[in-house]
Amino acid sequence: MRNDLDAHTWLAEHGDYLFRVARRQLHSDELAEDAVQETLLAALGARERYAGDASPRTWLTGILKHKIVDLIRRNVREVEIPRDEEGEEAIDALFKRDGHWAEPLRPWGNPQTEAELGQLRRVLDDCADRLKPVMAQVFSLREVAGMETEEICKELGITPTNCWVLLHRARLFLRECLESNGFSGAVLS
Amino acid sequence: MRWMPTCRDATELASREMDQRLSLLDRMGLKMHLAICRNCRRFAVQLEEMRRLFRLETGADDNAAGLDPDARRRIEAELQKKLDV
Repeated sequence: MRNDLDAHTWLAEHGDYLFRVARRQLHSDELAEDAVQETLLAALGARERYAGDASPRTWLTGILKHKIVDLIRRNVREVEIPRDEEGEEAIDALFKRDGHWAEPLRPWGNPQTEAELGQLRRVLDDCADRLKPVMAQVFSLREVAGMETEEICKELGITPTNCWVLLHRARLFLRECLESNGFSGAVLS
Repeated sequence: MRWMPTCRDATELASREMDQRLSLLDRMGLKMHLAICRNCRRFAVQLEEMRRLFRLETGADDNAAGLDPDARRRIEAELQKKLDV
């Protein structure tokens, strides 16, 4: 009985938190829901091993991280690495033929308040959602989950070179997206 | 890569430097380029900035949408199924 209570309490108390963490890394409501469900089911199966040293949230978040990587791995297998020309064209547009920036870069300011930070994070998440799936996933594993690139390559079965290329493109795209969404100036200054 | 990377090359190096240690040659090329190029200096700073923002405790943003009621019910049902076994 006590255990039943626990599983439902986990969902009630940490469901939203786990969902938000998963949503930021998976860029999809459905996948994030799957991640939360798999996490809670796994937690239920492993509850005897939960010693209560960490807070339930920390314990659940630890399980969630593995589930997220599993889900990304399963999904990446189904997606093709985007064809090179496509990504190259997007990058070509940012630079002149001689390799210089086509447009000067403006500096970003620093967000001062929690509200500004929150607003910023939402713009950032929206932009990240618009990355191509493989790019978004490599980027999330690297920047959100903080995994090392070798680990990511191994997990996803892609070459290190592909990894660097995808990360470079993702970062260029995000920077552009942030700037075109008013990231510099008003929000940040 | 020529001895002095272009802006385009420099963005690639700056990006890769976020993930691994560059070779001495690449590191020097990037350093030289950044010394003379304000745009790429800004780019490099913005890469760090983006990393910082993404790493800020994920999901701490309580204004983001949580589980919707249907999703919550579906998960609730799955948990109950497992508990009933």
